[in-house]
This record gives sequence, structure tokens and C-alpha cells, in this order.
Amino acid sequence: MAGFFENLSLGCHVAFSVANLAYCFIGVFIGTLIGVLPGIGPIGAISMLLPVTFGISPASAIIMLAGIYYGAQYGGSTTSILVNIPGEVTSVVTCLDGYQMARQGRAGPALGIAAFGSFIAGTIGTIILMFVAKPLSELGLRFGPSEYFSLIILALALLSYLSHGSIIKAIIVAILGISLSQIGIDAVTARVRFTFGILELQDGLGLVPVVMGLFGVGEVLINLEESLNIEVFQARIKGLLPSVRDWADSIGAIIRGSFLGFFLGILPGGGAIIATFASYALEKKLSKHPEKFGTGVIEGVAGPESANNAASSGAFIPLFTLGFPSNAITALLLGALMIHGVQAGPSFMDKHPDIFWGTVISMYIGNAMLVILNLPLIGLWVKILKIPYRILFPLLLLLCIIGSYSINNSKFDVLIMVIFGVIGYVFRKIDYELSPLVIAFVLGPILETSLRQSLLISGGDIFVFFKRPISVACLAIALTVLLLPVILRGSRRLREKIT
Amino acid sequence: MKKYVRVDGLVWVILGIAMCIGSIRLQLGSFHTPGPGFLPFLSGASLGFFGLIQMLSTLFAVANEQQQQNSHEGRMKWDWRKSLTPFLTLMTLLAYILLLEPLGFVLTTFVCLLLLFKFSEPKRWLMPLILSSVTAVLSYLLFSVWLQSHFPKGLLTFW
Repeated sequence: MAGFFENLSLGCHVAFSVANLAYCFIGVFIGTLIGVLPGIGPIGAISMLLPVTFGISPASAIIMLAGIYYGAQYGGSTTSILVNIPGEVTSVVTCLDGYQMARQGRAGPALGIAAFGSFIAGTIGTIILMFVAKPLSELGLRFGPSEYFSLIILALALLSYLSHGSIIKAIIVAILGISLSQIGIDAVTARVRFTFGILELQDGLGLVPVVMGLFGVGEVLINLEESLNIEVFQARIKGLLPSVRDWADSIGAIIRGSFLGFFLGILPGGGAIIATFASYALEKKLSKHPEKFGTGVIEGVAGPESANNAASSGAFIPLFTLGFPSNAITALLLGALMIHGVQAGPSFMDKHPDIFWGTVISMYIGNAMLVILNLPLIGLWVKILKIPYRILFPLLLLLCIIGSYSINNSKFDVLIMVIFGVIGYVFRKIDYELSPLVIAFVLGPILETSLRQSLLISGGDIFVFFKRPISVACLAIALTVLLLPVILRGSRRLREKIT
Repeated sequence: MKKYVRVDGLVWVILGIAMCIGSIRLQLGSFHTPGPGFLPFLSGASLGFFGLIQMLSTLFAVANEQQQQNSHEGRMKWDWRKSLTPFLTLMTLLAYILLLEPLGFVLTTFVCLLLLFKFSEPKRWLMPLILSSVTAVLSYLLFSVWLQSHFPKGLLTFW
């Protein structure tokens, strides 16, 4: 316990330094900004800002980037409530009741409960993160290469299963991500792979140009096809503090959403998205007046908004304890840690307590900053919402160009970004999800190392993955997850035939 | 549109086969000592396999076709008029890469931003001119002067 308080004190020391307070503020401010602005998500924003963090300490970098992540969850609700356009996919559900509340003149309480709910959920999520991370890290220390290999397979299987569209398409995209990670010099034999004689490819594809292309340029290109003329709710927003009645109606939803969001956030894939839908469904089920959902009930805003924020805390669990990203954003954070020479994984908390505890404490601070940013400054965000996309998109593209160029001062990186921008655009058109590609791209090298080490250690025994309990369990779950849609479809057809 | 949907599976199959051939050339090694082509071969084979499933599932999903068409409506339709702005934007980005070294950061940024702002406001000149020049100078001051990023100077060697 003494160690816990020592670490907590270290975290406070790191997070409360003037520089890190500033980075935390910059992070949550940018997070809210991009959450408010439709057409740019936290993935694009983090990849654009990744090169800026090269010159600062890893703790400061993660504090800022994490701030963007959870800040975006706050900002996303503003557009859902005022414009009926979700700023983030995790705020889609908020539109249902949030916008109806705004139409009934209750935009203030809707924004207020979204902010307070997010704050409570963020705090609960951070507290659980603090207590769960250590035991999970200790469990992670028992993992050998075969367990890591199977765990990656499980993560990719879950990711494919939880993706929004076709599971086959998600699997294809994940395999493509692994394949792309193999470009460059092989770490074991130093053989050059799939570079086609291009010298710049010998170090492999850079994470930043790839992600910036897929999520930055690709998103801009797709948005240019659609008119993003936003009509902002015109009435004056008043009464941001929810009434006692509002609190009584929402507090249960906030607490349930917090716990649900946190644990679903740990899952690879769209944890936060699923959490918001699950929270909405749960609240509707528990409600005495489920028929009113969708007409502007405050629980319909409080639950999902709490769930998405708690899920962003939950997503840090696999990242910090196992070195596993559970979504594209945490994959970028893992990339950021790698660039700084920091290895996330079971020994991360012991080797880098300043980064872990500094980030955890900064989350408390960031959540408090976000309440201040989101309530008194709501007028500012409404004004920003009115910036036309035709002015915004050239600036976003410029940030992408500068971001990808400044990593190696190389035009080639910009070209890679443009190529992946086209890939991102085409994939969106043909309904291929991009998150599995990024996660598989980041996990690809770990997967290859684990596979080769397992085979080497076992003397070429391909059944090594079925001889260790954790590995077998992971592979069994992965197989079940992949076969589940087939089984469900088969049983449905059988039932239809019988009836 | 149907052909366009079905073609993706075929692309993955071809890519998977190409990867398998490339991996064999790299040396697969053995189970005891996997070579540099080992995982790429597995990836290529899996890509080809799932590409085949994707191709077959779209080919034989006759019953669901109407449903699929409806669900994909909007996003799947490739309207060339709509795609013109993304295409021009893409060309501008490629021009940026080509012009960056000869013209330098500030001039290239100014020219390309002007083009991008003009795409959305073809009739007006003043606003795109002001926006692109202010953004070019501000981005230079922010990234090059303050954050110490190195960009090509090009024609404007005094910057």
C-alpha cells in the first residue's frame, strides 16, 4: 500500500508540473475542438500532432495525446445535442434524446448532464484503471511468446467480430495491416522484404503517414463529396446546471454507464461505440417509461455520454498492462511510446511509473478541465461549429502534410500519406473498416516476433500454441468469435425452416 | 455497381497470391527456424483465402442482393461529379510534393492552399488569396520558426 501512495505522489508530481498541466490543457482543448468539429476525429488529430510530441518527454506526450482522446468524447456530445450531427461516432446515440431535448428548449441541461456525466464517468474509469492495472500487469508477466501470439490473434478476431460491417472484410483489412507491417528489413535475418528496390521503404512504412493518410486525408476526401452545411441550433442556451430532478433521473444512468463503458472499453474493437449503444439499451430496459426514449429523456443522454468517456479510460488497460492497443487511438499511443523508446507491456508500470501515474493523475485534472471548457465556454464551441468546411479542409490537409513531412524531412512520407489517403477514401466507399488495419499494422511486428520465438523455443513444434493454458484459451475464444456469425446464421435458418 | 462490389474479393485473391510468391522467393525457412518469408506467406495465403470467401459470398448472395444494394445505397454509388473535388484535391497534394523542393515551403503552401480554397469558392479571389497567404506565413512561423521543423527554402532563400 505504501508503494501505491508513493506512486500516487510521483504521479501528482509529474502531472502537476507547469509544463504537463499546459500539455494536458492543450490536449483536452484540441480534443474538445475536434470533437465539436465534424469531419475530423481524434485519430486524425493525434496522428497530426504525433510529430509535435517528438521533442517533449514521453510522459508529456502521452498526457497530451490522451487528453485529445478523452477530450474528443466530451466535444462530440455538443454537436449531437445542438446540431443532431455526432462529432464522434461514440456520440451517435446522444443525438436521439439530446437533440430532442434541445428542440424542447432544454439544450442547457442536456449539455450540462453530458459534461457532468462524462466527468463522473471519467473519474470512476480512472479510479478503476488505477486499481486494475497492477494485478493485470502481474498476470501479463506470465505471458510468453506463444501467449502473446494467441492474444494478438484473439484481439484481431474480436476486433473483426465487433466491427460495424462485414466480418470477412474486417478480417481482410486486419491481414492487410499485418502484411503492411512486414515491409522493410527483417529484424532476424536482415533480409529486405517487399521494398521493390525503394530505399525509403527499408525502414518500413511509418505509422504516422499511414494513419494520417487513412484517417486524415481519407476523411477529408470523403467529406468533400458530401455537403457539410451545418445548421446550428439557434436558440440561446441557458440553464446549463441540471436541476435536482434531472440529477435524480440521471445519476443511476451515469453510474451504470460508467461501469459498463469501462469494461466494454477494454475489449478490442469499437468498445466505446458498443458501450454507448449498450448503455442506451440498458437504460431503456430499466426505465419505467421506455416509450419516451427518443423524445428527449435525460437518461438517454447521461448513460451513453458516461459510457463513452469511461470506455476511453478502459482502453488504457490493455495498452498499459499488456502493450496491446484495443482501438486505433491506443494503437497510435503505443506508436508514440515506441517512438520515444518506451516499451508498453507488463513491466511498463515498474519501469516507467512516471508515465503511468503521471497519465492517470492527468486524467483527473483533464476531466476537471473539460467540465470548465465545456460548460462556460459552450458559446465558443457553437461559434467554431459555424466555421464552413470549405475553409477547414485545406487547413486540415496542410497539417497532415506538415505532420508527415516533419518526421524525417522526407517527401516520400508525404507521398505515402497521399497513397494511404486514397486507400482510406476507397475503403470508406466500399465499406471496409480502417481500425483493424491500424491495430494489425502496429501489432504485426509483435505477432511475427512471438510466432518465430515460439517456434524456435519449442524446436519447431507447431502445436506449442495448444500446449499452454492461456494460449489455448485465447485461441479457443478467437475461434468461437470467428465462427459465431456462421453458427448464429445457421441456427436462425434452422429455426426458420422449423417454423 | 455490382461488378464494382465484387471486384474487391478478386483484388485480395491476386494480392494474396502475389504475396505468397514473393514470400517463397524470400525463403520460408522451416518450423524450427522460420525464415523472412514465413509470416508473409501465411498472411498472403490468409488474404487470398478470405478474398476468395469475399468474392464467392458476393457472387452467390443473390437473395440478399437487393437488400445489399439498399444498404449500400448512397456510399456505394460512384458519382463522378461528386468525386471531382476529391480528385482535384488529390492532384493538388501531388503537386505539393513535386513543388516543395523547387519552390520551397512558403510558396508551395501558398499556391496549393490557394488552389484548395478556390475549389470551393471558384468565383471569388480576394478571400482565398488572403486565407492562403496568411495560413502560409503563420504555418511557417509556427512550425519552422517556433517548433524548429526543417522545410525546404526553395526560391525564397531568405526565409
